[in-house]
Amino acid sequence: MLEAIKTVASRIQAWVSSDDADREFAQELQGHLEMLTAENVRRGMSPETAARSARIRLGGVAQLQEVNRDLRGLPAIQMFLQDARFALRMLRRNPGFTAVAVLTLALGIGANTAIFSVVYAVLLKPLPYGQADQLFNVFQAKPQEGIGGTGWSYLNFSELRAHNKIFSDMAGSQKHQLTLTGRGEPSVVNTSVVTPELFSLLGQKPLAGRTFVAEDGKRGAAPVVVLSEDLWRGYFNADPGVIGSSIDLDKRAFTIVGIMPASFRFPFLTKTEQLWIPLFQDPLFGSFVDQRKGHWLQVTGRLKPGVTLARARAELGAIGARLASDYPAENAGWQIQMVPLQDMIVGELKSPLFVLLGAVGLVLLIACANIANLLLTRATSRAREIAVRTSLGAGRSRIVRQLLSEAAVLGLLGGLAGIAFAYWGVHVLTSLLPATVPQVNAIRVDYWVLGFALVLSLAAGCAFGLAPALFSAGGGLVANLREGGGRATESRGRQRARSFLAAGEIALAMVLLVSAGLVLRSFAKLLSVSPGFDVQHVVKADISLPRFQYSTPQQWTRFADELMARLHAQPGLSNSAVAVPRPIADGNINLAFDIVGSPPPSAGTSRTASYVSISPEYFRVLEIPLVGGRVFDEHDIASTGRVAVISRAMARLYFPNQDPIGKRLAFGFPPDGMVEREIVGVVGDVRDVALGKEPGPMMYVPFAQAPFWGANVVVRSTLGTDAIAATIRRQVQALDKDLPVTDVATMPDILEASLSQPKFRTFLLGLFAAMALLLAATGIFGVISYSVSCRTNEIGIRLALGASRGAILRMVLRETLVLTGFGLVLGVPSALAAARLVGHMLFDVSAHDPATLTAVAVGLAAVAVLAGYVPARRAMRVDPIVALRYE
Amino acid sequence: MTDDRSEIIRGTLDLMVLKTLDAMGPLHGYGIARRIEQISEDALQINQGTIYASLVRLTQKRWISAAWGTSENNRKARFYTITKSGRTQLHADARNWARVSTVVGRVLGLADRG
Repeated sequence: MLEAIKTVASRIQAWVSSDDADREFAQELQGHLEMLTAENVRRGMSPETAARSARIRLGGVAQLQEVNRDLRGLPAIQMFLQDARFALRMLRRNPGFTAVAVLTLALGIGANTAIFSVVYAVLLKPLPYGQADQLFNVFQAKPQEGIGGTGWSYLNFSELRAHNKIFSDMAGSQKHQLTLTGRGEPSVVNTSVVTPELFSLLGQKPLAGRTFVAEDGKRGAAPVVVLSEDLWRGYFNADPGVIGSSIDLDKRAFTIVGIMPASFRFPFLTKTEQLWIPLFQDPLFGSFVDQRKGHWLQVTGRLKPGVTLARARAELGAIGARLASDYPAENAGWQIQMVPLQDMIVGELKSPLFVLLGAVGLVLLIACANIANLLLTRATSRAREIAVRTSLGAGRSRIVRQLLSEAAVLGLLGGLAGIAFAYWGVHVLTSLLPATVPQVNAIRVDYWVLGFALVLSLAAGCAFGLAPALFSAGGGLVANLREGGGRATESRGRQRARSFLAAGEIALAMVLLVSAGLVLRSFAKLLSVSPGFDVQHVVKADISLPRFQYSTPQQWTRFADELMARLHAQPGLSNSAVAVPRPIADGNINLAFDIVGSPPPSAGTSRTASYVSISPEYFRVLEIPLVGGRVFDEHDIASTGRVAVISRAMARLYFPNQDPIGKRLAFGFPPDGMVEREIVGVVGDVRDVALGKEPGPMMYVPFAQAPFWGANVVVRSTLGTDAIAATIRRQVQALDKDLPVTDVATMPDILEASLSQPKFRTFLLGLFAAMALLLAATGIFGVISYSVSCRTNEIGIRLALGASRGAILRMVLRETLVLTGFGLVLGVPSALAAARLVGHMLFDVSAHDPATLTAVAVGLAAVAVLAGYVPARRAMRVDPIVALRYE
Repeated sequence: MTDDRSEIIRGTLDLMVLKTLDAMGPLHGYGIARRIEQISEDALQINQGTIYASLVRLTQKRWISAAWGTSENNRKARFYTITKSGRTQLHADARNWARVSTVVGRVLGLADRG
């Protein structure tokens, strides 16, 4: 081994100083010859005989030199470099060809590299936690009722943590917002409510101070808080003395014990300005810790080394069964599931990103086909050169190697330009990416991405170099030598290869165009879909009440009432309401309910609907139409009969062919237990979860009968957003000077933001499809132009024999159409197969949408014919005299 | 590049070059070639050029080192010297060679006796 290394080292050294070594060796041989000649002379030979004999004894100097060079150098690399130098010379001689090829490749490789950098950072790069692949999220689920992964109650979690043998460490977390006061402006901060093991579980050390210890997680411990670096820098001005000092969270004093570095985020998708408090100290979740009911604590565990997934699942199954039998009221029917933390975080991004990577890969494939075609054309005109080289003794493998080297050099040039393009592309991509994409900050062109680009450019080089190389080296030596001038007629096989490549390009372009067309159509439908309420001129703002200060529902109601009274008195703000949660902006609260007087739902199913608590003006502010009965009014308060308004979808689903008004529902939401409510009205449907999701059943209750610890406001006003925000802020602070107003945004903006992911992928797919179309058109143009120029002679004869110019035009166009038709025949089934991959992204469009398919096929054919028309016109104008003299 | 015959010679030639340098001290290529021919009583008429392939191989393995110097008749020549690791290698190879040649000789002798 050591020897081999030594040899290679010495060879590299020799290779670096190759010319010197050659000269020295020549000198050495010269010396040898002289000494041998002198010896021969001493033995009595004549000087000439002595010299000749010496040369014979030594052997041919040239061969010795060659052997010496071979031994000394790195033959493969040397040969490649020699080929590469030659290739560069050839490329320089054809600047037009080189520019087109390199540019095409640079676009293809650059786009691929840029998309890969996103895929790598988002999907492949490990999360920034110690040994992140061992981290799993553990859920409770009730699959028979369609309830997927939910969280845990604290008591169930404690049981799981105590009794499992598969996780070395487990922690629970939940997040919400608390009001931070006591220093400067009051502010609402993202708060992670955690069990103290979280930090050690994720393997993270604090930037300063300490993280939580077991004592902090106990009941009655002193309230402590850990800050994120960004919060510390932003809100606390990087005050080094902050540790040990006190801040108020929801009006309770917490002692700051530590600061986590900016690289640490947990949960992963929150803002970077956040803080962590022990679960027991939280005003909301801290009060749930004694209940076994509920599913709110997100649980993460670190699998012990060596524990297989199968064993882990088996043990979780056993624990789930034990929980169900020990506490049937809360746990019957619930199972335990686990999912890798990384999958949890990137789950829904996986398939769109891979679709994009696939799409951009197809673009590169088309680019390669194009370049292969160009190379084939060139190979035809270089047939003579290659024939000469072959007859001078270059072996077939040598020629193939040289042509492949040319392709590799081209690939590398394209790769280099592509990397430059990718740097720019990554920049653009990250600015386009939806903010909800994890690891956005980690997207960059790093070594992995560069490696990918390098491999890709070499692979591309091989892909487009192989066919021409094989065809060129193939027989026909004598024919090629004999054929006159520069223009050899195309061999049949090569012509077929070119046609096949062009048809393949059309097929690939069709795949991309159909997918992009479907996604585009779906996006257009998404844009035009009505959310069920009018978003124009609607602004929302959040006011969250500190729960240690505003601890009773009566206080919450009073605050909302007073705020509404004040806002309604303001000019331009009379159209204001309170609602929790607001559609699209806040997500939804899905709640199970019973219909009084009707039998319980059959086993394994349950009745659920989205729950919304609103002030009476809400339907008017959002212009949600009343379909039947009445909306809430100022008489629906805590002391009057409990009422509810339901959506049309809920009426249809749960009260088919009945009048729901007057029927009674029973459901509970904190702080209320199970309460019966009379349905007093039916309103129009609202897409509350997402624009792309069909409206589900919804039930509304009066805020006064089901208050929240916050007043999430919606205002319809023609005033500017800033003016509205300022007015709300003034009125809120008149009620309580320590209350911040946060997250002011217009509803149109919120709707748009909710579409950022489909917008992103639609834009990119559309872009790639456009590139594919352009490349395929270029491909057709190239093939037909070349075919026309090869047939100039033939066309001249036809014209001379009386063929009309129209007939020539038709002949060339027919060739184009045959090519295109062949491409479409290949393309339709491929496009249909590929459309299935984008099927899950489609909204209100079938993956086999015939309109899209037809439009794409017709459009593609039109573009192809147009690309063929230009050379066809040229063919038509051929002058028979010139053409016949052409030889 | 090489046929079977020179494959056999290659190993033995390297060994002979090493031995020659070990016995004679620094020598140039011509000197080595002459010396091998003399020792073998001109039974081994090598193409003297092949010595240089051997010298490159041995230099690459750092078993010999080379330096420019002046030959006995005042010509510039490259002198080769055996290195410490070359000497170690030589002893190992020589032992190995002796064993192999004994065995080969014995086997051939057996065959002769039939």
